[in-house]
Amino acid sequence: MIRYLLKRLFWMVPLLVGISLISFLIMHLAPGDITNSEASFNPKASEESRQKLRELYNLDKPIIVQYGLWLKRMVKLDFGTSFASHQKPVFWQTKDAEGNVIKGMIQEALPITLLINVLSLGLIIFAAVPLGVVSAITQNRPPDRAITLFVFIGFAIPGFWLALMLMYWTGVVHDWLPISGIHSLNHDKMSAWGQLWDTLTHLALPVFISGLSGLAGISLFIRNGMLDVLHQDYITTARAKGLSENTVVYRHALRNAMLPLITILGLAIPGLIGGSVIAESIFAIPGMGKLFYDAVLMRDFPVIMGILTIGSALTLLGNLIADIAYAWADPRVRRGVM
Amino acid sequence: MPNKWRQALRNPLALSGFIIIFGILLLAILAPFIAPYDANAIDVKAILLPPSLQHPMGTDGLGRDVFSRMLFGARISLLVGIVAVGIATSIGIFLGAISGYYRGWVDVVIMRLVDVMLSIPTFFLILAVIAFLTPSIWNIMIVIGLTSWMGVTRLVRAEFLSLRGREFVMASETLGARDFRMIFIHMLPNSLTPIMVSFVLGVASAVLVESGLSFLGLGVQAPQASWGNILTDGKEYIQFAWWLSLFPGVAILLTVLGYNLLGEGLRDVLDPRANNTR
Repeated sequence: MIRYLLKRLFWMVPLLVGISLISFLIMHLAPGDITNSEASFNPKASEESRQKLRELYNLDKPIIVQYGLWLKRMVKLDFGTSFASHQKPVFWQTKDAEGNVIKGMIQEALPITLLINVLSLGLIIFAAVPLGVVSAITQNRPPDRAITLFVFIGFAIPGFWLALMLMYWTGVVHDWLPISGIHSLNHDKMSAWGQLWDTLTHLALPVFISGLSGLAGISLFIRNGMLDVLHQDYITTARAKGLSENTVVYRHALRNAMLPLITILGLAIPGLIGGSVIAESIFAIPGMGKLFYDAVLMRDFPVIMGILTIGSALTLLGNLIADIAYAWADPRVRRGVM
Repeated sequence: MPNKWRQALRNPLALSGFIIIFGILLLAILAPFIAPYDANAIDVKAILLPPSLQHPMGTDGLGRDVFSRMLFGARISLLVGIVAVGIATSIGIFLGAISGYYRGWVDVVIMRLVDVMLSIPTFFLILAVIAFLTPSIWNIMIVIGLTSWMGVTRLVRAEFLSLRGREFVMASETLGARDFRMIFIHMLPNSLTPIMVSFVLGVASAVLVESGLSFLGLGVQAPQASWGNILTDGKEYIQFAWWLSLFPGVAILLTVLGYNLLGEGLRDVLDPRANNTR
């Protein structure tokens, strides 16, 4: 297991270098020098902040040196300070001249997005597995047809449109759910349970929206995996031994059909993080997606570069965890049989 | 091949997808003849009118006819989807072919590049690139194309790897066929089926991405109509004008559904071995 882990960690190095290269190249995409294009779009950029930007990215040095310095800053997770919000640090808190702690922008936004994504993943697993199993064991009969229809619509429905419709229906017409932010205004005065309930009702719609297409995809995945597994010899053996249908389906088939799910969930992470832009900007949730969207509108380059890098690093981390979990769940992988 | 096409039309999934896409395509092409009004004509006397005989889908906040804007929006959505996925597919075919044909270090480098691109959240990458360029329909197509070629690359590479061991490939290699001939005359035509399926499914997701970007104000720019930016207005007026949100949403849903049905149906018919991956 330890050898597997080391090998897996070693493979992350070229990926990290690649990510740094691509993000570096994007920075140089802008016509001319980014300080010019930024100045023409962002009225808040003074000559002083342009000078800061030039220093931050060492734009006066040769391009190889620039890349080297960018790589060094990435390793130290130093992304400078934001242009738009009063020189807040992009990543982590720092102390100002008077010793006051100033929180980092990503530091504040990341936990919110992680919470939403963890809840969406939970929703996906708890809803998609039963849907997929039912679909497989009723193959081509009405329940399977209904679930397949749901899957196709789940794939095709634009999340932001569904968000609008649900906001209108539950928030404006019926007043069932709050439609923006993550807390009510009087959140601080509530009891602990009241606060929890308040946060959960605020998060219900965003979690549903960001999980829906994953939910559709994973239930289709479980269905096809189950259909594959149910035709294998060991399932015939289990039936021949006279085990009940439930034991065969849930103990023997499902456990094997669910194995690849670990990898698929790992691969779903960049989609979830990327998808947070739309859900968070519609529901006004101050997470990574909203932060990124606002930074793009303001052309706040340090924030854009910071989130791009942190988002990619999180994806790598997610894939690493998925691989480790897979190796833990399936001995064939860690012994190098597969 | 013609036989397979007839078979595809008998597949209910493929057929219903084909009918939806064909219908929308027809409306998009004939937009200038069907549209009752100029899509960008502002009429201050007809602001936010509900659907009626004069305005089948109502009017927006500037008094523009929503039905006419929907028709011209269909052109944008289909054009962006097809061109963007065309770019992605061309890159994917090229990289996947040389990766699977030459193997060795070329393959290692290209596959690492695919891994790197897959670990950057795509929507973030697209938004970041757009932040450095300026949003326009051409930039959107290029950016979506440049950020969605990884799946096709892997697919073409896998096809090429499996074709390399086949007898007809070895035969032409023994006869001294050049690399170019091997790749484009012998191997590529034999991997067209999965490429076509992935093209159709790719257009579906490109349409979703474009409408999302336009909705956020970072895609197709006003006054040019797109389904995404009609919805941006819809959000603004959601309490007074449901028609502004309903129609573009349904149009996007139908288009994406149509491409997905067509893609899955084609896969069922043309490629019976691989029906459990998306």
